[in-house]
Amino acid sequence: MSYGKMPVNGHTGGSRYPVKTMLKIIDVHKNYAVGPTEVKVLKGISMEVGKGELLAVIGASGSGKSTLMHMIGLLEQPTSGDYFIEGEKISYDNDRVLSTIRNRKIGFVFQQYHLLPRLTALDNVGVPLVYRGMREPEIKEKSMVFLKKVEMEDRARHRPNEMSGGQQQRVAVARALVGNPSIVLADEPTGALDTRTGQEIMNLFRKLNEEEGITIIVITHDHKIAAQCRRQVEMVDGVIVQSSESRVQS
Amino acid sequence: MILKANITEALRSLVSAKQRTILALIGIVIGIGSVIGMVSIGSIVQNEALKQFKDMGVDIATVRKDSGEKGSEMALKDILGLKGRGDVTEVAPYLTSGTEYGSGSKKMFMEQMGVTESFFDLNKIVMKRGRRITDLDAYRYFCVIGTETEQFLNSAGTPDPIGSRIALGDRIYTIVGVMGAVSEGGMRPYGINRSVITHITTGTRSFQSKEINTFMVRLAGLKAAPEVKAEFQDYFEKKSNGLRVSVNTAEELIASMKKQMQLFSLLLGAIGSIALIVGGIGVMNVMLISVTERRKEIGLRRALGAQQMDIQAQFIIESVTLCLAGGIIGIFLGIGVSLIFAKLSKWEFLVSYGSIALGFGVATAVGIFFGYYPARQAARLDPIKALRS
Repeated sequence: MSYGKMPVNGHTGGSRYPVKTMLKIIDVHKNYAVGPTEVKVLKGISMEVGKGELLAVIGASGSGKSTLMHMIGLLEQPTSGDYFIEGEKISYDNDRVLSTIRNRKIGFVFQQYHLLPRLTALDNVGVPLVYRGMREPEIKEKSMVFLKKVEMEDRARHRPNEMSGGQQQRVAVARALVGNPSIVLADEPTGALDTRTGQEIMNLFRKLNEEEGITIIVITHDHKIAAQCRRQVEMVDGVIVQSSESRVQS
Repeated sequence: MILKANITEALRSLVSAKQRTILALIGIVIGIGSVIGMVSIGSIVQNEALKQFKDMGVDIATVRKDSGEKGSEMALKDILGLKGRGDVTEVAPYLTSGTEYGSGSKKMFMEQMGVTESFFDLNKIVMKRGRRITDLDAYRYFCVIGTETEQFLNSAGTPDPIGSRIALGDRIYTIVGVMGAVSEGGMRPYGINRSVITHITTGTRSFQSKEINTFMVRLAGLKAAPEVKAEFQDYFEKKSNGLRVSVNTAEELIASMKKQMQLFSLLLGAIGSIALIVGGIGVMNVMLISVTERRKEIGLRRALGAQQMDIQAQFIIESVTLCLAGGIIGIFLGIGVSLIFAKLSKWEFLVSYGSIALGFGVATAVGIFFGYYPARQAARLDPIKALRS
């Protein structure tokens, strides 16, 4: 799939949402009990993300963007509201089902990379496949393919402490992609990197999005980063205040 | 496949925290080592105790005159008359009487015995040198001696006692043979190694106690003790009015010994188990630390699709791996200890394969039992909190 064929709104002037909906959130609330009081973090969020989108969720710290991401990543259960991935409504009562969806449909990229220190780059990439019960040779083979995709194949045998931050983040991106997920969730993926390396990671996301049509959601507080995504959703104080399309083209 | 990945991961994690792993291992090694050592030593002791039954056979019974009976006695001819009756294939009456030999600092307590020729066969006594006492030695002052007696005579200035004379009580006996050493206990009369043995008819004439009140029999079939007793009781009641006998069969003795051994093993096992519990708590502690230290990893694995069960399995496998590693070292340690024990006590060393299996089983069980709680803690962590820690 190429970027040009994507019927993203603003480019086609047609429907407001892309044709194929990847995920859909309807009036989601999330409250935390902090002592006797209840803190409302998400106050009725509704949004849709289409297949092949490169979306930025932007907001200051405390705006609820991380909570939203955790909810999208099935790490957090909303207090109320509905959540659909590829048309399938998520129910939160079965750990096994949730874990399986997380394993097969979500790919995470974290600010702190979160690579396992004892594993090589290659083995780190393969971790999601281990939980699918895939056989080891197959895991290694697939992991290598994705390491190549992020241009880290020459570091396959290196451990995280032998790699730079940018290199670790590339490995983390390969790990997020290896399971062929529906959505890649990147939580401040450039937050721990210098501007240049951060830009490299963003370039990688854009390339993956344009060339392979991978759906990516980038959570960031940085407007410059957000501006590189084709759509931005801005959150303030638990609600979406603005949704806009960027004019920035690759 | 997850199992294999988990085992690899467990090894990796244990190797990366060497110091802690070794500390946790020590407890398990000592625990398993003591269980294996104690069970092995138990079986070595048991084997040693049952040894004489192995060379003497288990078809032997000892018949004694019950004490407290007056006026009736076991006549030698009645005892010998038992041979060939019923299941009795061999009879060996004997007479014992202790005596002190020598004077001053060179003194020895000797067991004087009067026997018939069949005594040597029944007790599987092999002559080291010379000949044994035969029934042709009846009423004659010939004797054979045990190895300890021989040693004493050697040290008293008689290099080769055969042919020399020995004065016991008011009689002088001529030594015609030296018996090989025999193990004591079980059905064998005590003191054969430090004995001076003559024919029983000589004994009834010359010993201080002249009454025959014990004999051994070999039975054709294995019979329960009460049955054997009834037969002999019946026989002697007819021969001698009011004589009552008691019977000990080898089988009975083995059974009671086995029971004692079991009790002994149980006791040792209990001590080992306490060591294991202490070791297990050490493992649990290490696993809890490991879980706390790896919260981030747990959160990450959950985010990448690990189920609670996967996390739980990962930590239980880690704890089982730890315990098995300790178990293997402990098994070697336990066997080593029992080997040293066997060498020191000059007993036959043997490895009880059951105890090795027990070692593996117990190590696995300890790993699962003491790993369960930490693993559960790990599985129940909130992924987000774990990731943020």
